[in-house]
Amino acid sequence: MRDLFLAYQSLFAYVGINALLALSVYATLSCGQLSLANAGFMAIGAYTGALLTLHTGTSWPLVLVASALLPALVAVPLGLPVLRLRGVFLAIATIGFGEVVRLFFVNWSFANGALGLVAIPQRASLWLIWVCVGAALWVFARLRGSKTGLALQAIREDETAARSMGIDTTSHKLAMLSLGAGLAGLAGALEAHLTFMVSPAGFGFGRVVEMLVQAVVGGASIFFGPLLGAAFLTTLPEILRELSARTGLQPGAFRQMLNGLVLLAVILYLPNGLASLPARLRERKAVK
Amino acid sequence: MGQQALNGIFVGSIYALFAVGYTLVFGVLDILNLAHQAIFMLAAFLALALVEAHLPLFVAMPVAIVAAGLIGIVLERVAFRPLRDRADSNISGLISSLAMATVFEAIAMQVFGPDISRFPLGTFPDRVIRVGSASASLLQVVIVAIALLLMAVLTVLLARTQLGRQIRAVAESPRAARILGVNVNRVIAAAFFLSSALGGAAGVLFALAFNSISPDVGRGVELKGLAVIILGGMGSIPGAVVAGFALGLLETFTVARFGSSFRDAVSFGVLIAVLLARPRGLFGQAAVREG
Amino acid sequence: MRFAKWSLLIVALVAGCKDNAPESPKEGAAAAPATIKIGAALSLTGPAASYGQQQKAGLAAALDELNAAGGPKIELLIEDDASTKEQGITVFQKFINRDKVAAIIGPTLSNTASAADPIAQQSGVPVLAVSNTAAKGITDIGDRIWRDSLTEAQVIPGALKKAQQKLGFKTAGVLYGNDDVFTKAGYDVMQKALVDQGIKEIGTQTFAKADRDYHAQLTALIAQKPDALVVSALADNAAAIVSQARQQGWTGPILGGNGFNSPAFIKNAGPAAEGVLAGTSWDSSSQSAVNQRFLKAMAKKGVNPDQFSAQAYTGLYILAEAIKQAGGKGSRDDITAGLAKVKDLDTPLGKFSFTAGRDAQHEPSVQIVKDGKFQIVQ
Repeated sequence: MRDLFLAYQSLFAYVGINALLALSVYATLSCGQLSLANAGFMAIGAYTGALLTLHTGTSWPLVLVASALLPALVAVPLGLPVLRLRGVFLAIATIGFGEVVRLFFVNWSFANGALGLVAIPQRASLWLIWVCVGAALWVFARLRGSKTGLALQAIREDETAARSMGIDTTSHKLAMLSLGAGLAGLAGALEAHLTFMVSPAGFGFGRVVEMLVQAVVGGASIFFGPLLGAAFLTTLPEILRELSARTGLQPGAFRQMLNGLVLLAVILYLPNGLASLPARLRERKAVK
Repeated sequence: MGQQALNGIFVGSIYALFAVGYTLVFGVLDILNLAHQAIFMLAAFLALALVEAHLPLFVAMPVAIVAAGLIGIVLERVAFRPLRDRADSNISGLISSLAMATVFEAIAMQVFGPDISRFPLGTFPDRVIRVGSASASLLQVVIVAIALLLMAVLTVLLARTQLGRQIRAVAESPRAARILGVNVNRVIAAAFFLSSALGGAAGVLFALAFNSISPDVGRGVELKGLAVIILGGMGSIPGAVVAGFALGLLETFTVARFGSSFRDAVSFGVLIAVLLARPRGLFGQAAVREG
Repeated sequence: MRFAKWSLLIVALVAGCKDNAPESPKEGAAAAPATIKIGAALSLTGPAASYGQQQKAGLAAALDELNAAGGPKIELLIEDDASTKEQGITVFQKFINRDKVAAIIGPTLSNTASAADPIAQQSGVPVLAVSNTAAKGITDIGDRIWRDSLTEAQVIPGALKKAQQKLGFKTAGVLYGNDDVFTKAGYDVMQKALVDQGIKEIGTQTFAKADRDYHAQLTALIAQKPDALVVSALADNAAAIVSQARQQGWTGPILGGNGFNSPAFIKNAGPAAEGVLAGTSWDSSSQSAVNQRFLKAMAKKGVNPDQFSAQAYTGLYILAEAIKQAGGKGSRDDITAGLAKVKDLDTPLGKFSFTAGRDAQHEPSVQIVKDGKFQIVQ
């Protein structure tokens, strides 16, 4: 049993990190904004953490705080102009931001450019990661019933109406962008101190797409949805690995295709994600 | 400098052709079709397969283009139509197009393998044309000509034909168009056919131009395509054309003057600058699209 | 006199027989050689898939030969890490804790290795890298990490020297991929080697791995009229770079690193590949018996081999040799100790040994493309 745990320890850790990342995307989705900047924020947090650990003697808790704080601060001057844009334009602007951040790290020789930083001591333990996930979930749970949470929901439903009701939509959206940035930065620092290394390759467009997909598949309308999505999609390749080992099916493009099909199925038939599955099943039973 | 200008026009023509299809779908459906780059890639592979089966290029290319258009129709039916009535259709449309892109890439990977392929030597005659101190290959000239031709055809189609008028009507307001008797479903399908056919054409030309076909070849172009349609204005065909060439030239001169490390940053810099200063781009409509 | 000669002959025959007798480990409780499990973490899907697939073929060929030749049986478990470090880590942990392998081959990518190898080091499992070429962050993780892949630092300076001897160039224009570990590390080495050899780097341009259009960079480099173009790229980009350079009228020499050493390069570059020089870690044209055996085995599998399969094939043979050096014992410690004893092993890469730092040590080669094939430059 212990060996089984050891064998999958990193998987549990990764589910936690991906949960934090999915929640970071959820932060802005919860007020109706599709921000795809989080791979960039994650990179900022990861490099901040790695550089502090490797080059200064900063204590681990402070490293984590700095890694979450810096992206959260960067989010403000980014958000002020960019959150004015609607829908797809916001998404595209944030994609652009993410790419600019990645290119910065590719070209920054102090951080070794594409070679990245290696031999980072492993300070992110499994329980620490999950404590962070728990804390993030708690924050979102508290938001849900609160006045702020209702304001966010109103903004999500109809931003113009919310504004005319007197809600300061700009500062709410900015706050969520900043919160998401902080979570992504924290996740980045944790990942850097889990996998011993950090490189620009892990922070491209594909990464933020992964985060978005996990948030949406899990369910972007409730705070624990992203956790479900992260858990499901992070373990899916390993489930498929076991399946192909037992059935002799060759791993290959088949796995990638399955990822795409699962995503398509969820988007088409289960728009509120896995989190809405129990409710949907209950509905179907009631109708019968 | 002259050679760099030619380089810029060359790559710009392909960016423009790719972006035109991209922006057409956005104009009509208000959705970013992230599977556009996957159809771009599939068309290239299809043309390659046909040429390797000893079909001449001038047959393989149109066949691949039409096939790409048909795949676009399937894409629309499977991934976009079911989502049309949803409130968050832009986000869910984005995600479902992403899912389809993943599926298309997986199919290409399974059928053609991960390695990079190229058209067999001799697919296109190897001739060089000298323009002053600069040189261009016959292939490059033909590619730019075909790209311009296809874009002109699309522009005429949209401006002069009934289908074009219907597409523009649906782009303006699907509800109004339906009231006026337009078969919105069919028009959208036609728009997807055109968009994907052009994307496919861009794919075949790209493969010929740079001798590289692989399942992930669309990824690099996808993000550049975004910069182009933003610069040109979402939904504007002439905008995509102008912006495509502009971006190609801008990138090339950035490399010539400052070095290539900054090249991609320039594209995204332009993207962000346009979004902040003038979100509707060069030729885009300022009015908000009504549903 | 005749008696002395005959007795000498008999003694020689007996001595010779003894050397040829198969080793049978009779000491200890482990009487019969058990199956030794080795895990291979390869990128079979994802961006590095073409390398991983070559490695899989090379390993399979070596496995068949080794198990047919007798001695301890090797069971090879192959898993895909999808070119990501997350799955690389999971695969390593599965190998170490569930499958309880004695050694691990791979992973394909240096980035994944930096993330996964420390786990093996911590658990005492020896890892033999067969394609990691990053200068730092691989073997310096610890004493369980070994590699048979020469880094660019071991290949390029020699190649540059030989090229300059033959062609005598004084200035160079350099093009390299700046967003990939392999090509960036290669450039760092090239930069230093150029300085060391008194060659002036008059132009430097970069490209991203996803790029396919290099016209702008090549125009800029060629305009400065360097004596030679030096390129740090992987095979796929390299083919397009070389084609486009020739297209633009560049007739001068082109010199590449290890990334050029692939049949895919020649196939995709076509006639443009003629005359291109490459510093390589595997001389594909080597007539040595063991290289010819490797080529034949790959031909039987219908695979056109490149250095990835050559290094993977060699890797399994190195592990087998380590097991032999450990007296046929296959525990994690035994194999680690055995690896340290591997010396001058005959491989398709040449006579192979490990350096003191557990890196690869064998003669690199400089090759030139002639008549559509790689040939060694003397």
